[in-house]
Amino acid sequence: MRSGPLSEDGPIAQAASASATESEDLFDTAPAGYLVLAPDGAIVRANATFARWLGVASEALVGSRFRDLLTGPSRILYETNIAPQLRLQGGFEEVALDFVGRRSAPLQVLANAIEQRDAQGAVRSVKVVALRARERRGYERALLGREADAVQRLHDEQSTAELREQFIAVLGHDLRNPLASIVGAARLLRREVQSEKALKVIAMMDVSVDRMAGLIDNVMDFARGRLGRGIDVETKSVPLEPVLRHLVAELEASEPSRDFICDFDLPEPVRFDATRLSQLVSNLLTNALTYGDPKQPIRLHADTHNGVLTLWVSNSGAAISAAAMQRLFQPFFRGEVRHSQQGLGLGLHIASEIARAHGGALIVSSNDTETRFTLTMPST
Amino acid sequence: MISVVARNNVKVRGSGQRVMVFAHGFGCDQNMWRHVAPAFEDSFQTVTFDHVGAGGSDLLAYEPAKYATLSGYADDLIEIVRELNLTRVVFVGHSVSAMIGVLASLKAPDLFSKLVLVGPSPRYIDDVGYTGGFGAPQIEELLTFLADNPMAWSAAMAPAIMGNPDRPELGEELTESFCRTDPAIAKDFARATFMADNRADLPRVATPTLILQCTDDIIAPEAVGAFVHEQIAGSELVVLAATGHCPNLSAPAEVVDAIRAFV
Repeated sequence: MRSGPLSEDGPIAQAASASATESEDLFDTAPAGYLVLAPDGAIVRANATFARWLGVASEALVGSRFRDLLTGPSRILYETNIAPQLRLQGGFEEVALDFVGRRSAPLQVLANAIEQRDAQGAVRSVKVVALRARERRGYERALLGREADAVQRLHDEQSTAELREQFIAVLGHDLRNPLASIVGAARLLRREVQSEKALKVIAMMDVSVDRMAGLIDNVMDFARGRLGRGIDVETKSVPLEPVLRHLVAELEASEPSRDFICDFDLPEPVRFDATRLSQLVSNLLTNALTYGDPKQPIRLHADTHNGVLTLWVSNSGAAISAAAMQRLFQPFFRGEVRHSQQGLGLGLHIASEIARAHGGALIVSSNDTETRFTLTMPST
Repeated sequence: MISVVARNNVKVRGSGQRVMVFAHGFGCDQNMWRHVAPAFEDSFQTVTFDHVGAGGSDLLAYEPAKYATLSGYADDLIEIVRELNLTRVVFVGHSVSAMIGVLASLKAPDLFSKLVLVGPSPRYIDDVGYTGGFGAPQIEELLTFLADNPMAWSAAMAPAIMGNPDRPELGEELTESFCRTDPAIAKDFARATFMADNRADLPRVATPTLILQCTDDIIAPEAVGAFVHEQIAGSELVVLAATGHCPNLSAPAEVVDAIRAFV
């Protein structure tokens, strides 16, 4: 170890000189473009990498204005947006710039810059670092293009969907008229003397008309919901039990081979929309008839407790798969049944919308012994 | 309906009998005037604002049809002056806002006593017998290129980042960023700006006008400044030593002196 004063060629000076050479080398050959600009944007120094990217000698760049190396569009953006940011923020980061390149293709970079200011706040110099980013920029442009396409497609889809739903609403409305004619015709026939066979046929017609009217109601409610009008309910506080008994009686008449077990504990009146809640319960019972084991009874339970109405419909039969459970309340979902039994797949969707319109919710549970749909809603 | 003051993020400062209204150009916001407007606060009431789509303006107020041309921006300027119950203001407009001020002064001459046009251009695209500085294809390329730049990105990212509770410092950084412009609006504004042709409006200007022309400005070259001077009868032209397109940032003192001498 030397202990005397450090001489010019001492180890520290040598190390410093070596480090200066290294820095110089790093400046020139780093895999990034380095530029030092005067306050007016004239290039004071440019490294070899950047000059090589542009296909010129680095000395040739000295004195040029930074913005003059940019392509037209890049230059406009630089002057109107990026240069002001540099001045206002003292720098910029991750700015996409295009320089006029050696051939027709521009040199695409992502650049950062920082201003050096003196004690009075005047700009002394600006340091710029540029990373070549042709692939990255191409990728980003492609992403933006795909995003624009996706937005356009979504917009088209939405317009089509809206048209389709308007069509459904009009169709549902128009189907009611011929159905009313059939109801009227059946009534006329029943007033005249008919054979026993004809009376049976008329009764079957009535059942079919009821089913079809139910389907049309569902379709129209769905379309109305989709068109943003939702399902309106007009609630009144009245006894619920007679409404439920009437629904079950109707089904017992049309499905004499099936068993229904009712269990009601409804001492208080309930606040509900009679038409809508009937539709909800009817949809649940129809669902149970379609998907339940025909040899087993369908159960309907309703009770009020602490201001909450709990109503459930259950049936036996195969459990609903976990995947199906996820989509059960979505429109047009249908389980695995015989083709002839398939409806539109709107019943449960509309039932859950009606539950929601009453401030309640419809949930499902299912296992090998029982599938149960439970409505809970405020009873008052 | 949202107030005009909130819509355009209008800031009123200073005190004085006279009023000076500052309007920023394409690509920035009212921060553009932060080194110029304060110099007038002792003798003027100063008004700065953001065009809809820029800075702290209300993006929901943006209507593509209204802002498809500079006329929509001129209407906003008139509404701001009226909303604040001002008349005979000195208007200072940078870049495209110079023409926005010209249009506003033609629509409502009583509201403006003087116009200061900083780096004005009535038409950016070259035409027969006229040099605007740009070819039509360059402007089309600009509209595409805007999608690549962070002016667009920062605005698009701001809500997402500011909603990130794990990294609040990011939101803070962005709220303080300058020259933010909504990307879709920036593109429309670029189109309205660079496709505009207001040459025919210039001879109709009756308000005393000062033109501040920068040296070596590629957005509004000196020939364009000379054209504006020639077309507006009685206008004054001052060529600044400041270079580039934004003397309000690069040489605020020179801009302040030139405006002061005029008003």
